[in-house]
Amino acid sequence: MKGKGFLAVLLCGVMLFGVAALAWAAEPQEIAVIVKEATSSFWQNVAKGAQDAEKELVAQGENIKVTFIGPESETKIEQQVNLVENAINRKVMAIVLAPSDPDALVPVVMKAKAAGIPVVIIDSLLNAEEGYVSFLATDNRAAGILCANELIKRAGTKGKVAVMSYVPGVGSEIGRVGGFIDTIKEKTEMEIIGPFYSQSDMVTALNQTIDVLSANPDITAIFGANEPTAIGMGRAIEQLGLAGKIVAIGFDGNKDLQEMVRNGTLQGIAVQNPYRMGYEGVKIAFAAAKGEEVPKYIDTGIVFVTKENIDSEEAKQVLY
Amino acid sequence: MRIFPRSYGANVVVQRFIVIIALVVLFGVFSITTPKFFTLQNVITVALQTSTLAFMGIGVTYVIITGGIDLSIGSVLALSGVIAGLASRAGVSVWVSFLLGLIVGIGCGIVNGFLVTAFDLPPFIATLGMMQIARGIALQITGARAVAGLPAAFGILGNGALWRTENFPGIPYPVVIMIAIALVFDFVLRRHRIGRFIYAVGSNEEAARLSGINVNRTKIIAYIVSGTLAGLTGIVVMSRIVTAQPNAGVAYELDAIATAVIGGTSLMGGSGTISGTMIGAFIVGILRNGLNMRGVSYFIQQIIIGLVIVAAVTADRLQKRRQGR
Repeated sequence: MKGKGFLAVLLCGVMLFGVAALAWAAEPQEIAVIVKEATSSFWQNVAKGAQDAEKELVAQGENIKVTFIGPESETKIEQQVNLVENAINRKVMAIVLAPSDPDALVPVVMKAKAAGIPVVIIDSLLNAEEGYVSFLATDNRAAGILCANELIKRAGTKGKVAVMSYVPGVGSEIGRVGGFIDTIKEKTEMEIIGPFYSQSDMVTALNQTIDVLSANPDITAIFGANEPTAIGMGRAIEQLGLAGKIVAIGFDGNKDLQEMVRNGTLQGIAVQNPYRMGYEGVKIAFAAAKGEEVPKYIDTGIVFVTKENIDSEEAKQVLY
Repeated sequence: MRIFPRSYGANVVVQRFIVIIALVVLFGVFSITTPKFFTLQNVITVALQTSTLAFMGIGVTYVIITGGIDLSIGSVLALSGVIAGLASRAGVSVWVSFLLGLIVGIGCGIVNGFLVTAFDLPPFIATLGMMQIARGIALQITGARAVAGLPAAFGILGNGALWRTENFPGIPYPVVIMIAIALVFDFVLRRHRIGRFIYAVGSNEEAARLSGINVNRTKIIAYIVSGTLAGLTGIVVMSRIVTAQPNAGVAYELDAIATAVIGGTSLMGGSGTISGTMIGAFIVGILRNGLNMRGVSYFIQQIIIGLVIVAAVTADRLQKRRQGR
């Protein structure tokens, strides 16, 4: 009897120790990736990059885990603030954040800094440079300039170019369309029509493009500055029978836009690189948490996808 | 369709006259100043672009005449279009997909109607709720992504045309539908019992109730009309771009309300006509197209359309004040 009791106590003790040891071993440090909205393909590509970085770090023997979360929609800013606050309270190792608003997230990022948690900002600007260790994003101005150069390569330096933009005054729009227009003005004698603003509504972009192309039959080139705008623009070109007759450059790369590149409606699309934002975001956040020196700004770049390179590995990694 | 409704007295005729003059002047000015504006192709384009405005405008006119409002049109449009797109992508035949989209619109209209009548919610609140809910569902089921890679047949409704030949571009199906819908809903409003009930409910709800009109049923019908036409707009719009965009149609309800108001519909309820709304839709449609063709800056366009709305309602008010004296 006595022996049995002792055995039971021993067993319990072993089990308790086991559980404690398991908990001890399974307590990896967390890097929280907090995006604007978790479901859309753009953010899913960020997640893919973050997971690949996690795998690599774990394979190197680092005891870390990456969590990926975002509010229901990009407009739920206060929800995102809460998510960051929760991460601070969990005492995560580092935070990778795509701020839904350039100002609203500033206080909570400063709080993370005060708590000694390094923050890496991805995709969109945060108006507090002192709050974060690194900023990874598409340099939209460089992207606009690249699109202009690709357009000039195909359309020459004379003629008329229409600019189909999306939401006036948004940070990415100012850089992207501004860079495009400045380059056209600087390098060519082309007449610029627009910019027109679709409010990121495909049908509005369709109507505007039809109106502009009908009024100016001598247009030689056209630029659609984001995904819905480029889709509406492409549909208008198809419906007016102008595919291949004018040089059309789009931005971003969903299935419809890829199809338009394949069938020659669009001569090329400039695609951002969300995978790289997730991958390098986690890597840099980890390095910063270890106290290493990290670059303050990284341009994650653009892949210019055309009929020729659309099936290449480089293009496949950024298309969705 | 009667352009000058005889039964609504002199002030309506005068106001209608002003609006028609405005429409003609607008058309004339653009024709003279903008090359390519007055061409067969562009006139057809204007009609096509106006058709979606007209669908939504007619629907909301019904609701506004009952003294209500429908703020959910843009969102319901998106949800209907997205459902049609998802169904079509899942292999459902295109026309059945469109029917599903339409049913979603009808469903949203029924819910709006019930919220307003059975639960006695103010129409502003009920449809504001629906605006959020329908948009949320559209975003949720698509993950906020455009539904791409739809079959070519999905584009026929929006891009096909009747009597298309070598030399004639044809009448786009949405324009054919617009004409049919305008005639039917105008007839119902002016001639059918339901139409009379709708005016009666909007003029004086209590009097309508006392005279034996089923007020709740009348209101629900008005919201169903609005929801159905929002659904129709959704499938036409998504068909035109052969892509279903969950964040399409943001703030379209305000365009719809504007067309109704420019056409002389009173937000107080009790007055308004389909012919007026059609004229309002064409004023907005011609303005947008003409200003785009002229290359007028988007910001100036907004200012101009804002001024037109204010001017139209001001003219209406002044007219009524003079009458009241």
